[in-house]
Amino acid sequence: MQIRQFILGGLLIIPGIWVLLAPATNHPEIPPGTVIVEYWEKWTGVEGEQMREIVNAYNQTRGREKGIFVNYISMSSIDRKTLVSTAGGAPPDIAGLWGNQIPQYSKLNAFYPLDDLAKEYGINETTYKPVYWDMCRYEGKLWGLVSSPAAVVLHWNRKIFWENAQKLRAAGLDPGRGPQTIDELNRYAQALDVRDPKNPSVLLRTGYFPTEPGWFILHTGLWFGTELYDPGQDRYLIDCPQSIQAFKWLQSYPKRLGVSTTSNFKSGLGNYTSAENPFLSGRVAMIQQGPWIAIYLEHYRPELNRLLLPKNLEVFLPQAMRNFNYTWAADAFPSAVPGLKDVTICPFDVLCIPRGAKHKKEAFDFMAYLNERENMERLARLHCTPSPLMDVSEGFFRYHPNPYIDVFERTSGGPNAHHEPQSPTSPEVGGDLNAMLDKINEGKIEVEPALKLVQERAQQTLEIDRQKREIRKRAME
Amino acid sequence: MTSGETKNFVKGIAFISPWLIGFLAFLAVPFAMSIYYSFCDYSLLQPPVFRGLANYRELFGDSVFWLTLRNTFGFAAAALPLGIIAALALAILLNSPVPTPGVWRTIIFLPSLVPAVANAMLWLWIYNQQNGLLNILLSGIGISGPNWLNANWAMTAIIFMGIWGVGHTVVIYLAGLQDVPRDLYEAAEIDGAGWWRRLFNVTLPMISPVIFFNLITALIGTFQVFALPYIMTGGGPDRATYFFTMYLYDNAFTFLKMGTASAMAMIQLLIILALTGIAMYTSKRWVHYQGK
Repeated sequence: MQIRQFILGGLLIIPGIWVLLAPATNHPEIPPGTVIVEYWEKWTGVEGEQMREIVNAYNQTRGREKGIFVNYISMSSIDRKTLVSTAGGAPPDIAGLWGNQIPQYSKLNAFYPLDDLAKEYGINETTYKPVYWDMCRYEGKLWGLVSSPAAVVLHWNRKIFWENAQKLRAAGLDPGRGPQTIDELNRYAQALDVRDPKNPSVLLRTGYFPTEPGWFILHTGLWFGTELYDPGQDRYLIDCPQSIQAFKWLQSYPKRLGVSTTSNFKSGLGNYTSAENPFLSGRVAMIQQGPWIAIYLEHYRPELNRLLLPKNLEVFLPQAMRNFNYTWAADAFPSAVPGLKDVTICPFDVLCIPRGAKHKKEAFDFMAYLNERENMERLARLHCTPSPLMDVSEGFFRYHPNPYIDVFERTSGGPNAHHEPQSPTSPEVGGDLNAMLDKINEGKIEVEPALKLVQERAQQTLEIDRQKREIRKRAME
Repeated sequence: MTSGETKNFVKGIAFISPWLIGFLAFLAVPFAMSIYYSFCDYSLLQPPVFRGLANYRELFGDSVFWLTLRNTFGFAAAALPLGIIAALALAILLNSPVPTPGVWRTIIFLPSLVPAVANAMLWLWIYNQQNGLLNILLSGIGISGPNWLNANWAMTAIIFMGIWGVGHTVVIYLAGLQDVPRDLYEAAEIDGAGWWRRLFNVTLPMISPVIFFNLITALIGTFQVFALPYIMTGGGPDRATYFFTMYLYDNAFTFLKMGTASAMAMIQLLIILALTGIAMYTSKRWVHYQGK
């Protein structure tokens, strides 16, 4: 009996020991002695596979030479997983996060500063467009390198413009181009709205509606001449006159179209990542969006990208004529301030090395590889984005799948390109502002008192954060 | 303790040790740490720094905290009785002689097996203002349905959605109903009791322990509502569906304020404990255990 028990116990223990001691990953193709760099990335779809191409290229070339293998794992909720694994002492070597998380995470000591390594590889402020470089730095240190940059511009449906040429001309507008001022944008939008003739409270199409999709709506103040946050004074600027003007402009849309009309219209719109995307399906004539909309168009409505020639022959068109192959167009979002041109907000994805990563140097080698012009341009073409680098090759424009890449390059490289607020409290403030905007749009509160309330709360949040830091500093001393 | 008893005790402990280790590692210790963190500035990545009652003070002065508390109480006040009544009504219907009872039971139980994300996506379409099933059905009887997920209706929509998942509760009620002795119904019938009288004087008292059990579990569940509103509305519009647990989660993982989140968890625990205590106290009056 005892022997049987012993054998049975042994059989149960052996798999347990194997599970505990077996290596976590097994890569038969990797030569012994190779350093394995764990790279976690947020993209789980096509973008994830496109990044995998770059990783594979690195592993087959420079990685092989240097004895480094990047093990690329794409996953959802990357920020939470990075946070928990870093706290648990087992972080990845590279984490693919969002650029606006740098202030919040670096403040908590979540990443290694990269200044020394960047210096070693010759990466400095001259390498990048200022807007991306500035956001990668926080409190005087470099915390990450860009992986996939963006800039937000106005996109419009040229077909709708052509079809409504008479209406637009009657309103004193040119159907052959996009709006160049906020006032023009309003007039274009109004001329292109279509209501149901049987039931005028039903909106069939809107020329423009700020909350569709409204991903960057909190930054509207930029086009009215103000930032959301002043890092110099560590103060939010939510209730400044320009911001009030911006939110009044946002409110003017539901006011003009009708609160329930717009709410009903929005609720009937299809899935954003499908052919039913309101811009792709022509239910919204103009949208404020990033370069990725070109991917959606090519994926879900390719016929809109082949007006004159099939895609593979497009490259034979002179560069100046390339845009004629598309039924949509893009240009800088119009500004409300006379003379203020090419204003844009530049969100981006970033690669960071979490504190506690085992292979910091090797991880940075891959990050530096990605940030070489050729590789960065390859990824930018795959992701349909601009390059974050100052130096862009001629071929980048010629072979880029986004026909308006020059617009994104111009705006993101220009003096009016802005990054997201560099404040660790911005997620909280953003949530408050979003909720207040709902109230404003529903007509439950006027703009001035609403923004005053958010401003007070935002400053209070900053103050609590400041107090906490002081207490922590004293405790650590 | 004799040597035999000691040996048995050690063996017993050894047998339950996997559970014991799990309990200590994943429940007791984190719980104790959470109590401590609720008095600290803590963000997971830095060591906790004690700051007394500051987290609680800040929460009590935070309008969003009170808003989420109000939303959660409102949700619980409506969803709890509605869920209990709906589940009980369905169980009583299933317990009556209906044709193909197995099919009906499966139909009612099946939605509770649907994962939360799929459930949320399904209901987003049902509630779609222009093409949603609900408004199409309503238009069939001449009613123009509202935008169910706007600030005025979103809470109601989420409350009614809860009925969709009552399958588990129905099964528990059904088991309770089938345990009610037939002779009690026969005696009541002989005394001239009608259907309603039998329901209120026989059925409900006899299954009151089951109702009590479901009340407690539903109470805990409604105060922890998270997944469906998180996916469907993200707490909006205008924070109309922003619940306590969602704010707790945001504090922990979006604002990286684990200390504040821990304080919220403690407050939530106290609220649930208090409400459970009230339910336990009043149960003496309305819960009847057989054989007592």
